[in-house]
Amino acid sequence: MTIEHGLTQGKAEPPSWRLLLELAPITLVLALLFGAATVLAVAQSLGFAPWYGINTFPDFRYFAALWGSGIFWVSLGLTLYYSLVSTILALVLAVLLSLALIKAFPGKGLYKYIYKLPLMIPYTVGIALAVIMLGNGGMMSRLAASIGLISDPSQFPRILNTHAGWGIIAVYVWKQTPFITLAVYAVLLGVGRETDDAAAILGANRFQIFFQVTLPQILPGIVSSTLICFSFNLGAFEAPFILGGGFPDTLPVVAWRYFNDADYTLQLQGMATVVSIGLVAGVILFAYLAVYRRYERQRGRA
Amino acid sequence: MAIRRRNDRVNLSPFQKFYLLVAGAVIIGPFVPLLIQSFAFQWDWPNVLPSEWWWSARTRARLPQGWDYVLSPYSRLLEATVNTVAIGLVVMVICLAICLPAARVLAREKFRGKNGFEFFLSLPLIVPESAIGIALLMIFIRLGLAGSYAGIIIAHLIPTIPYMIRMLTAVYQGLGREFEEQAYILGASRWQTLRMVTLPMLMPGVVAGCLFTFLVSTNIFLLTFFLGQGRIITLPTLLFSKISGGTLDASAAGLTLLVSLPGIILLIVSERFIKEEAFGKGFGA
Repeated sequence: MTIEHGLTQGKAEPPSWRLLLELAPITLVLALLFGAATVLAVAQSLGFAPWYGINTFPDFRYFAALWGSGIFWVSLGLTLYYSLVSTILALVLAVLLSLALIKAFPGKGLYKYIYKLPLMIPYTVGIALAVIMLGNGGMMSRLAASIGLISDPSQFPRILNTHAGWGIIAVYVWKQTPFITLAVYAVLLGVGRETDDAAAILGANRFQIFFQVTLPQILPGIVSSTLICFSFNLGAFEAPFILGGGFPDTLPVVAWRYFNDADYTLQLQGMATVVSIGLVAGVILFAYLAVYRRYERQRGRA
Repeated sequence: MAIRRRNDRVNLSPFQKFYLLVAGAVIIGPFVPLLIQSFAFQWDWPNVLPSEWWWSARTRARLPQGWDYVLSPYSRLLEATVNTVAIGLVVMVICLAICLPAARVLAREKFRGKNGFEFFLSLPLIVPESAIGIALLMIFIRLGLAGSYAGIIIAHLIPTIPYMIRMLTAVYQGLGREFEEQAYILGASRWQTLRMVTLPMLMPGVVAGCLFTFLVSTNIFLLTFFLGQGRIITLPTLLFSKISGGTLDASAAGLTLLVSLPGIILLIVSERFIKEEAFGKGFGA
């Protein structure tokens, strides 16, 4: 009797308050941090900064000044270019890697340690590795000289500190390929090989199997991991700061420079830059998810 | 013929063998010149190997140049290491405390707006870090939190929460309710059940989530750099200030190796703690 009583009590309790209580801490922390950051960023970019004696809210002057300059659009273009190219490259490399990883091969246990290494270490380490490998006095340049391709460091093609950004892209790809691999590999493990086998028995060739069977299966993993990598790259600071080509910089570096300027009124323009980064990221990610969900609906999965 | 094709699909193709070798070389390869650099005494371009190693010059230099600097008090390595580990541990504990209850609800309860809520919890992964970092800096300056440990710890919760919650939810989903119901039937209170049944069974997942959270925290650069205001240094920001000029000398090489060490140790200790579930999950689709 008492036992049953205890049990039914546990279940009959209105779940709502306990549930809300359990969800409260995480919700409060995130909502406070994001909410406060968003409100302040938008307010300050629209001219609300009483602590500097500036309060002309709402004032679109700072956005007008920022968006009206051609340099902003160059910076935006560079930011998008580095983010997009590295995400696409990492995705292709990661899909190839995860397709190889689901097969059996000697040393697979060890390999599963090795491929995760870039995931485990900070971006600054990746940047240091890029400098020592790809710099004009770096390892690649030395190897090129040792086989007689060049006779002076300046003859080695400049990879770092150019606006083509191959150094930045190399660091992002090196760090993020394992991340996307992990996501895709997890999905591949989950779906098993039955559908592949069925397609093979029905006479599909390797490419047909990949594009018509495997790719739709791993798409959720691809979408979520590329979403994360792309928005990380949009907001990344250290790689473009060290390996970038200088003025014009990517948007996060531009924003950081505004905030470190001796003229603190530039901080309002800096905040307009920050809000712009958020807007660009929001629009692109929303469109990406919308396209993906439409695709899923068409396939009847959502 | 059919058998051969099947074999081909179970074993690696020649291209895949080649690809795995190249990928492995690209991942590990760059650490080789780093090691060489840190032990070189004289390494001029275009020599592929140093013309003089530290060993042959040991009468002139007590330690390899790089390590001599890195291990000296001037490098502030000890301070950065202590900060990194301390911040990581505190972030780990707070993150666990706020994620554990929420993970139970997400794994077991159904409620309206759950998909939206899960998307909300994933937001930190898709909001550009520099945007949130700079906006928080402005707030923290007003609150007097900029350049303080508290400010950095609060900021570190943002990127760690999504991974912790995903890993804990996955563990809770794998754990059936039966054991807890058994405990209730045997007369255990809610607190006893949590302490003696639920937590021990959750332990492997909790450890995995904690290790990964610690790792994410120790690798954060941007939030620490922006909110630390140069007053609090960690291993990633220390390395950043050393290489921000775009060159890498012997001491920077040594420092890079040391900064990689925590991640390498965690990887060796337990490759399995990186739960695939935390990465394969979609965005509330």
